[in-house]
Amino acid sequence: MTRLFHGHPDPSYAPSVELLEREPQLEQLREAIRRSRGEGGVVLITGEAGAGKSALLRAATAGEATRVVRGLCDPLETPRPLGPVRDVIDELGVDLDVTGFATLAELGAGLLEAIGAQPTVVVIEDAHWIDEASVDVLRFLVRRIESAPILLVLTARTDEIGAAHSMRPLLGDIARHESASTIAVPSLTIGAIRTLVRETGLDAASVLARTGGNPFYVTEIVRHPEEGLPASVRDAVLASTGTLAEDDLEVLRLIATAPDAVDDRLLPILGIDVPRLRRLEATGLLSRSRRGVGYRHDLARLAVDDAIPLAASAPLHARMLDALERQGSGDLAVLTHHARAAGDRERTSRYADAAAAEASRAGSHTEAVAFLRLAIEHFSGEPAARADLLERLSWEEYMVSDLDDAIEAITDARSVWSAIDDHPRVAAAHARQAIFEYYAADRRQAERHIGIAVEDVDSPRYASAWATRMYLEFRRNDVGAATASGRVASEVARERHDDEVRLRSEILGAASDVLGGSLAARELLLDRVDEARVLGFDEAASTGNSNLAAIDVDHRRFREAGELLSRALPFTVDRDIPICNQWQTGVRARLHFLRGRWEAALEDAHTVLDVEAAPLALLWPHVVAALVLMRRGGSSEIVDRHLELAWDLAHRLDEPFATLQVMSAVAEQAWLLDRDDARLDDANALIAEIGDLPGVEWATGDLAVWLARLGRPVLALRAAEPFAIELDGRADDAAARWTALGSPFESALAALGSADEAVAAHAVGELDAMGALATADRARGALRARGLTRVPPRPRTSTRGNPSGLTNRQLDVARLVAMGLTNAELARRLYISPKTAGHHVSAILMKLGFTTRRELIRRAEEFGLA
Amino acid sequence: MKRFIIEREIPGASGLTTAQLAEIAATSNAAVDSLGVPYTWVNSYVAGDKIYCVHEAEDAETILEHARRGGFPADTVSEVVNEFGSHTAELVVR
Repeated sequence: MTRLFHGHPDPSYAPSVELLEREPQLEQLREAIRRSRGEGGVVLITGEAGAGKSALLRAATAGEATRVVRGLCDPLETPRPLGPVRDVIDELGVDLDVTGFATLAELGAGLLEAIGAQPTVVVIEDAHWIDEASVDVLRFLVRRIESAPILLVLTARTDEIGAAHSMRPLLGDIARHESASTIAVPSLTIGAIRTLVRETGLDAASVLARTGGNPFYVTEIVRHPEEGLPASVRDAVLASTGTLAEDDLEVLRLIATAPDAVDDRLLPILGIDVPRLRRLEATGLLSRSRRGVGYRHDLARLAVDDAIPLAASAPLHARMLDALERQGSGDLAVLTHHARAAGDRERTSRYADAAAAEASRAGSHTEAVAFLRLAIEHFSGEPAARADLLERLSWEEYMVSDLDDAIEAITDARSVWSAIDDHPRVAAAHARQAIFEYYAADRRQAERHIGIAVEDVDSPRYASAWATRMYLEFRRNDVGAATASGRVASEVARERHDDEVRLRSEILGAASDVLGGSLAARELLLDRVDEARVLGFDEAASTGNSNLAAIDVDHRRFREAGELLSRALPFTVDRDIPICNQWQTGVRARLHFLRGRWEAALEDAHTVLDVEAAPLALLWPHVVAALVLMRRGGSSEIVDRHLELAWDLAHRLDEPFATLQVMSAVAEQAWLLDRDDARLDDANALIAEIGDLPGVEWATGDLAVWLARLGRPVLALRAAEPFAIELDGRADDAAARWTALGSPFESALAALGSADEAVAAHAVGELDAMGALATADRARGALRARGLTRVPPRPRTSTRGNPSGLTNRQLDVARLVAMGLTNAELARRLYISPKTAGHHVSAILMKLGFTTRRELIRRAEEFGLA
Repeated sequence: MKRFIIEREIPGASGLTTAQLAEIAATSNAAVDSLGVPYTWVNSYVAGDKIYCVHEAEDAETILEHARRGGFPADTVSEVVNEFGSHTAELVVR
């Protein structure tokens, strides 16, 4: 049945709720609504189930002149993608098709425009049941909320939100947001309970002891004082059903099987007539809304649902499922829910399969994974179809960075293809597995799988396998082998009209040339990335950015790297490519680190480490975290842990570049602690072995300089210029080169070796100013050992300003201030309020040791902020 | 039973085909049958972007219940309190 109409007659009745002890919260919420008419904000209402979060909201918005739109999250085991966002759009009454946007960011922008047209309160209820795609849309909204007259209000049981919950990143954004506040809805006190139990004959103290002051529980008890004190919320709710006839109770139970209310249009199909509905409504457990007939509170629904006898449950769900099918419902998450509970394997698998495809399209990969697992668990069709499901599952698991499970699923798929003798698909699965293994930092396995994958010319991923092989070789700086593999990849790609693989190999070919020092190849690479983007090959484009950014940073092309990452990182968010996002964030950590912006570097490093990113992306975050901490004199235990993990990763990756970098960090630690480290014994052998590979001269130079500082022998090598100069004993020249490149720490360390005592002593002060207290102390010792007498003492407090303490956000703001932007202009550029912009500017000036923004503008060049 | 006039806003209502009207009628009939209380659909008129319906029920709430079950809008529901026509003129006492 098609739906011809939009709009809906108003609910026939709304639950009346008595609010007690909520005056402060009510006032806070009303004040937030008032303020949001001028400048947007966010409110998070927290409390346990039944605390009265929704009741508080209803009271605060009742009679409110500001428009209120609501989005609800349902207690489905796996939520429907964009459920609350669709609700909001529906209530706005605007013509916005959620499937009509290329990215969730574009959907967010469309939504912001539609909502922001007039002052609006956007309510998202029960956000602890939210889906991943909705979280992304809301995060977009939160980032820009100050620029629009919108108050976003979320209610959530925060105690039900674990570390891996989709909602976590949104909670993090809210916690950091200037214009966000949290309203906790506490339990009722004895005073409020006394008021509620007045005239019931119940003892307030006993009610408090039994209920813990939970408003929902207390209210249910008060509705049936004759029942005394029920042992649980469930018993309190069920007291309302005692007078129902058996066939009425059956329908009440039927409604309880629907976590999201029963659409009014289902009532004729389910045979629920008006007299029966009135009898059910008399229990006080139901409520009527735009969505249909549902329970007043999910605790009430759960109480009735839990009390359904086991044997009666499946038939109720089957009845609901049939009704939904007859009605022509396309709500796949709900259909899956009922099919599963009905014990209908075939329909569970079929609906979960379709729900997964829908979730994947919407960018809700967490939900796609859950639906696919369900579909596979209930699958009983042809093996080939099962293998297809497994391959899809492996891809979605990869998208949520769950590599272990992705590898397991693709292995399972492979054995199914193998059992039915579909060899090309076996090879194709090997090709995919190689990528997962590599992202899991297991090069040995990756090479094994790609070796098999390139053997079968009939494989649908034959060309792609060659491109992956090329990539693995490129990552080992083995440009010769990579070029040869790339030749096969592009040849086959052309034959098969596979533009994506052609571009992947062309991009990597150009990257190999950039590695060898060609700047013309850099332009070519960017052209190809652009072509890939235009053709919709988002991963190919993004991976190209990832590789180029890493080389740029390593070759100290800081300006180019910064500019590239400022475009590339938002692209990974827009197009939902988590692996590239993590990798590029790690590369940016290193960029900040090399430029002496340690706070921003640590922030990026922890962003990657905290999300349990793919192991491949963890190398730089570990190295950067270790080095910043050791230079500042932080916990040696944590430093050691980061170094061990980085060391282990470098060995699993078996890549010269990675090993050299980690060795340099180990050498720096040895120098700081003035001790030797046996892990460095192979350093010269490694340099000799790989020193001639293209693109390693910065990494070998870095390691050689540290070896020299340690007093270890350094053999002749091809080192990048500043390192070569330093190894040549020309400390002042090296320091000048580093300053010109924009690396203050490297410059100070080189200057320590200056024959000019004043220069060396000044370098110690520079290290102090950067907050590299441990390094400065070690330098003091070294200079004294050299016989220098006028070494500056460790400063008691840090009075000199330095950009090393600026966060990413502050760096962004500082650059704009340096361009001369006013607070109002900053606000417009960054979608924040002028007040927030002002706060940022004050914090920046304080960290830089300035009193006016004019000083910042004048000295921007010196601080690398121009 | 009371008689009600229901105004339903449906953009493009005048363009509804006979097949579509038939589908709407079937849905409406099913909604009427499901109510379990007295209800009569008297007639409906398509005009511009609206459909005007004449229904009979015990109260306005039942009219809304029918609309919800059919998935129809019901923008205004007014009870018919009197009826007259050209013949009414003859009732005037001169």
